[in-house]
Amino acid sequence: MSNAAGSDEPSDTPTRKASGNSALTDMRISFRRWLVKTSRNPYVTFTSLVQPVIFFVLMAEVLGAIAGGALAGTVGGDIHYVTYLTPAIVVQSALSAAAVSGIGLVDDMETGMFDKTLISPMGRSAMFVGKVLSELVRIVVQTLIILGLGYLMLVLKPEATATGYLQTGLPGLVGILVITTLFGGVFMAYSNIVALVTRDREATIMIANLLTFPLLFVSSAFLPLAVLPEWIQTVAIANPITYGVDGIRALMLGQDVLSVFEVTAFDGLWNTVVPTFGVLAAFTLVLGVIAVSLLNRAARAEVQ
Amino acid sequence: MVSPESQPQSDSTARPQDTPLAIEARDIHVTYDDGTEAVRGVDLRIAEGEFFGFLGPNGAGKTTTIRTLVTLLHPTEGEVRINGYDTTTESQRVRESIGYMAQETSIDLELTPRENLQVACRMYGVPREERDERIAELLDLVELGDVADKRAETFSGGMQKRLDTATVLVHQPPVVFLDEPTTGLDPEARLRVWDYFERINDRGTTVFLTTQYLEEADQLCDRLAVLEDGQIIADGTPDSLKAAVGTDTLRVELAQPTATRKRRAIETLQSDGALDGASIEATSNGFAIHAADARAAATTVFRTLVDADIAVAGFDVDSPTLDDVFLSLTGEADDDGSETPDVTALSPAEVAR
Repeated sequence: MSNAAGSDEPSDTPTRKASGNSALTDMRISFRRWLVKTSRNPYVTFTSLVQPVIFFVLMAEVLGAIAGGALAGTVGGDIHYVTYLTPAIVVQSALSAAAVSGIGLVDDMETGMFDKTLISPMGRSAMFVGKVLSELVRIVVQTLIILGLGYLMLVLKPEATATGYLQTGLPGLVGILVITTLFGGVFMAYSNIVALVTRDREATIMIANLLTFPLLFVSSAFLPLAVLPEWIQTVAIANPITYGVDGIRALMLGQDVLSVFEVTAFDGLWNTVVPTFGVLAAFTLVLGVIAVSLLNRAARAEVQ
Repeated sequence: MVSPESQPQSDSTARPQDTPLAIEARDIHVTYDDGTEAVRGVDLRIAEGEFFGFLGPNGAGKTTTIRTLVTLLHPTEGEVRINGYDTTTESQRVRESIGYMAQETSIDLELTPRENLQVACRMYGVPREERDERIAELLDLVELGDVADKRAETFSGGMQKRLDTATVLVHQPPVVFLDEPTTGLDPEARLRVWDYFERINDRGTTVFLTTQYLEEADQLCDRLAVLEDGQIIADGTPDSLKAAVGTDTLRVELAQPTATRKRRAIETLQSDGALDGASIEATSNGFAIHAADARAAATTVFRTLVDADIAVAGFDVDSPTLDDVFLSLTGEADDDGSETPDVTALSPAEVAR
């Protein structure tokens, strides 16, 4: 719509028109802005990491003391609970980072920065993508920290060994990051939907916290689904956390651990990785489309 | 009374007819989804370099109009051209050539003024090699050079507003839209911001300002339009609008305001001929002269009275203010709503010129 080769009418005002940027430049501008903003708020980043870390240690100690039997009956007795738990904590940290994504949007709407970008020549989708990318960077960094922490805990435990912590090696690590970002996408979209519907900072934070915390427990995050009550097994089927955790867990343990339904079309751990990837992609796509259409509506305003 | 789109008195400040138009709106209507007709047929023709004011009570449609002009809303009917570009079909072009300052202060509080300006420079594609100089110049303009690297969240409202002003100007837009830019500022901060707006306008930038402060419009604007219920009900220079509602009044208080003295004073002045055509009436403690130039005639009046040996105890000159214009046009005080509490605090002293 922009680059009409039309002639700028010559005017003798001492001013001139701005030049448009490429979509890539626009994306980078937005990406940098949000990254700087994140770094200005170390407290927020810190807390979204601290909660999973505390959980990690407590769960490993408390549940780890009794989880042996449950693990032996499902994934195998020689797998330490810390290794089993790591994917859950990775998902939890990604969740807490993604679930606040909408806050930035609400803040921008409240301060008028949203309108300001709308009336600038910036590409709208590029600026949104830039924001999402900055959040994904944060999720990746947090994931690496959690993975390192899990390894450290195994090294420090006298009865445990860190060998076999990440069965699939470096390709597995890349796979874990891919699944984590895809999983992050689900909740980023969700958070932005809440933000766009409520247009309220407090509500966005509250709904994010309210829903995300219980969701962890009604999934395969902390214990094998097989040992959990039937209603939880049912809820877990519709819970994106189950798929995030199972996908990462499959890559860590190097085996098929998909807990909600049986897939045998592929080979070994791929029977988990492929379906979880598909389910998470579908979740992200559906919620993403809703979020983007709400965002477009917000940008266009409610005029006939 | 003036009618929409008319150029009432051809004042000295009336725009030259051959200047290109910076803003041209033809019969715009904006109807919201819920059926609210916020703007009902507004026409605007604003020349390059003009300082144009848009007045109106709360809910008159000022913000809707300005949001339509800056491409945030599409008009339901009618068309808008900014710098010659259509806001609906060439919105990108329009966006590149305007600056818009919203009612709320739109800056990133987590960033410093310098960073805010850097982001704005990048957004508008200001060439890298020009950025530093431009940012320094703007920080200087809004007097935030000393705090350029402090986070904006610690700033006072006035400082934040000034930073907002600067970010709107990074790409040196030929047209700037300001939506109630001084609402919530203390009087001193307001004066400073006015000064920036005047400087911007002096550089040749067209300024479109909406305001609730009539004094602000009077001070800054070359031309005004008054909006009510989504329609322009008057348009003209501040002086022509004021002249349309009345003339100056010179009230003179006599030392001994007896009926005879009053009559003698009035007769003396009338026979003097200096106040040709002015109407003079007796008041409780003296008399009042209604004339377009009553202020200028004051000296003559006093000399005549002294010559006639009539002692004057005091005097007062009243000129119609935009307040009077507003009241006579809209038939209500300008604070009809609770939306902007500041307005109710507008003291007469603040409004009076």
